[in-house]
Amino acid sequence: MKSVQTILMVSFLGCAIMAQDSTLTEKPLAPEQIGMAHLMEYLNLTTDDITYRSDYTEPDSFRLKIVADLMRRPLDMINYTKEIRTRYSAGQPEILAGMLFQDLQGEYQTKRGNAYPPSADDLQAHYDLYYSNLYMNQVLSRAANYINVIIPRSTESALAGLTAKQRAFLRNEFKELLVTHEEEEFLSVEGLDSLEKVEEKYTDTLVTFGARINTDPILAAGISFLREFMPELMTVKAMADSGGQTRERLLNNVGYIPNNVSTEKYLGKQSGWKIGGPGRDIYSGDYTFILDLGGDDIYELSYDPAKPHPVIIIDLGGNDSYTGITDFAIASGCYSVGILLDFAGDDLYRGKSFSVGSGYFGMGLLYDANGDDRYDGDTHVQGAGSYGMGIVIDESGRDIYNAALFAQGFGFIKGAGIIYDGDGADSYYAGGKYKDILRYDEHYLSMSQGFGYGLRPWTSGGLGYLIDLKGNDSYYSDIFAQGASYWWSLGMLYDSAGNDNYQSYQYAQGAATHMTLGILVDEFGHDVYFGKGLMQGVGHDYSCAIMLDRHGNDTYTAYDLSQGAGSANGAGIQIDNEGDDRYFIKNPNNTHGFGDTRRDFGSIGLFIDLSGLDQYTGFGKDNFYWKTESRWGGGMDIELHPKDSVQANKP
Amino acid sequence: MKNVINIVFVGLVCLLAGARADGQTMLEKRIDSLFVIASSGEVKFQAMVKPAEDSIAALGANAVPHLVEKLETKSPRERLAVINILKKIGSPAVPYLVTALGFNKGLVVERVAWALGDIKDTAATNGLLTVAKHPRWQVREQTIGALGRIGDARGIDAVAEALDDTIMLVRKAATVAAGQLKINSAIPRLVHLLGDSFYGVRMTALAALTEMDSAHTLRSVIDSMGSMNELVGNLGCSLLGKIRTDSARQVLLAQSRAVDPKRRAHAAVALVLADPTDQTNFRASFLAAETDRFTRLKVESAIASVTNGQTAESQ
Repeated sequence: MKSVQTILMVSFLGCAIMAQDSTLTEKPLAPEQIGMAHLMEYLNLTTDDITYRSDYTEPDSFRLKIVADLMRRPLDMINYTKEIRTRYSAGQPEILAGMLFQDLQGEYQTKRGNAYPPSADDLQAHYDLYYSNLYMNQVLSRAANYINVIIPRSTESALAGLTAKQRAFLRNEFKELLVTHEEEEFLSVEGLDSLEKVEEKYTDTLVTFGARINTDPILAAGISFLREFMPELMTVKAMADSGGQTRERLLNNVGYIPNNVSTEKYLGKQSGWKIGGPGRDIYSGDYTFILDLGGDDIYELSYDPAKPHPVIIIDLGGNDSYTGITDFAIASGCYSVGILLDFAGDDLYRGKSFSVGSGYFGMGLLYDANGDDRYDGDTHVQGAGSYGMGIVIDESGRDIYNAALFAQGFGFIKGAGIIYDGDGADSYYAGGKYKDILRYDEHYLSMSQGFGYGLRPWTSGGLGYLIDLKGNDSYYSDIFAQGASYWWSLGMLYDSAGNDNYQSYQYAQGAATHMTLGILVDEFGHDVYFGKGLMQGVGHDYSCAIMLDRHGNDTYTAYDLSQGAGSANGAGIQIDNEGDDRYFIKNPNNTHGFGDTRRDFGSIGLFIDLSGLDQYTGFGKDNFYWKTESRWGGGMDIELHPKDSVQANKP
Repeated sequence: MKNVINIVFVGLVCLLAGARADGQTMLEKRIDSLFVIASSGEVKFQAMVKPAEDSIAALGANAVPHLVEKLETKSPRERLAVINILKKIGSPAVPYLVTALGFNKGLVVERVAWALGDIKDTAATNGLLTVAKHPRWQVREQTIGALGRIGDARGIDAVAEALDDTIMLVRKAATVAAGQLKINSAIPRLVHLLGDSFYGVRMTALAALTEMDSAHTLRSVIDSMGSMNELVGNLGCSLLGKIRTDSARQVLLAQSRAVDPKRRAHAAVALVLADPTDQTNFRASFLAAETDRFTRLKVESAIASVTNGQTAESQ
């Protein structure tokens, strides 16, 4: 009898522990997860229904693993935005760059490439010392190792398998796949057809050898440079910040150099290198390395893609003006690494195309620690990556971002682009230059602000992220933007705090078209979302897009095929967790949880509001469940957690 | 003399061949130039698209081989333009398209099957049956879909077999086709597919079952209401609500008292939709007894929707 009791006791304890363990390990579900499962059950759907096969189309060698994985489980995009948001640590841009690099793993890539490992011979210092300060020389020496050896050799290893003709193709024809010309709107039907065929030919050419290009070594070299260089630079910065004699000691030199002696042998005095003092300096031309200790400086920079090289620019203070005289200047990694670190001041970054945080077969990183800054550029700018990474990190200040196309968090083939803005009421504008002649007479392509883009149906695209943590921000765009993507890509816009204003016309605010993924997440604040159509949670053609607003009293306005709409077997989801919200639409027949029929079956459109006293025009209604006259969509406006009656009745 | 005759004969053959080649080139050139417009996507050329499609379609069967060549295109707009034109050519296009089902390129075969399904000519049935088990699943999907759209009873066996395909989009095509062909023998299988892991299969199975013999369907659904796969019973409620017989209503009433509040909601909502004017006085008694607030709200919402005429019949 005793043994039976013992067995029962042991079993009971075992069960109790197991129960406790499962309680401890079970993560509480987020409201939006509960909401999605709840609505889908009501509609006879399951969360597993939203999944897309990799072989819906001919698989290609350019697909990123993260995109393929998320296509299989698109609802995981929500957790993934959280992961991206937490990737930054103040003053350490290398952390964000390192994690973005991880995301560029190919679908079937098992091993990532490393930076060129220099031998002792490679690193033999061949320079004489010009400056007498130990820390200054340490910084210069580190930079020289990377500029002269590690980065160029890494580039060589990345492009090793290519012929001279193929390298020239990447420099010229491939670039044309991203460049648009304003005069295209005036071409005849034959002219446009011919242009299309030329671009198809370029793409066909790329497909023959593009999978052999592995830019991992270049990107790894750039990240490794930042990891090693930043701590040493901080010591020099501390000395420069202390002012007076300490700062001057940084610039002390070892002695007199006669005029007839070449400075090429002296560290920091090589051609393409410049060390600037605390006053106002003007830098004009194609530089390799600039370290400026302060002052309101003027940079007029150029770059020749036919002669690629690293460009490292560090400016420790002052209101600076950076102007790109050519494309590929200003924090542009073009077959190389381009890094610009600006630590203080209200700065102006005025680039042409492929600049201001552009990675084109390389890594371009712009880090701005402080100040109210302005960023201007044309195409492939402000956090744009193609076969590489383009990164803009702006830690604080009221900033203005202005660009035409493929910008502000844009990822193309095997590329990732990100803007990570930490603080300040910022404004983002993308568009207004290149007309969307396919769809409209008077609207402009944006393809920006968290936008991923691939070449349908040849090559999968990349990752475009726009992360903004604080401030009342404004986002303006026209066609394709704000957490959107096209063809096997991922576009993400995450805004953590502030009363934000989102304006766009079409394919925006959580939109995905043609086997791809898009998400917009806004955490806090009373936000306004406005647009015409195919937005606010719309997935078209085996795509999934999510728009999630977690807090605040928000206002949503759209005309049609929006606010939780699935089209051509896609899935579109709009979720608002909290607040008294207003939803305005023009066409009640394809909004508020709508799915249309294509290929003989339906799409999925989900509209979810989980609390608050909400107002609607259209199909939706406060405190209501509905199924729209569609295949297959519906919505609900419920109180997920009933109000505490005692609290609610308080005067 | 013989040599002269030979020379003249060869010359004549060359001349004829040249004329044929020229003729072919002329036709192809004409199609190509019109096709540039027919496949144009830009908004400013939209008014020219339909006339260009019509002009190519007017060339009839002669245009088909060259159009089939274009089916290899990677451009979605060109692909759609070819399908539209083939559909406009209609039955005269079928003989060559059936031949093209035997081509090696799976991509072309799948698109040819698609076009044949849109043309809806029974002359294509036997040809389509030859590729119904094609190793490329996209071909199977388009072929089964085409057999359903054509509606020829010779396609029944192939469609019924495809209900068990391992690829979800092929099963989807088969459930749709089963409804179009009204394959009553497939009812038990279709009821089972109400619990499929892919929503495209579940929902199209539901739609197909509404096309079948209702007495047979009712028996199969009632048998399956207790399925461990709760999706079968939940969608079964929707189906019973559409069948609307007394037996169906009795089953729904029983389900509206189920332990699971979600099942109660599915059954009660189906009863509300099946009886929009509440002839059976179901609503008051259900709401008085229902304790789950979400289930109550679902039913109250359904009542408000039928009252306002806002019900979604498609579900």
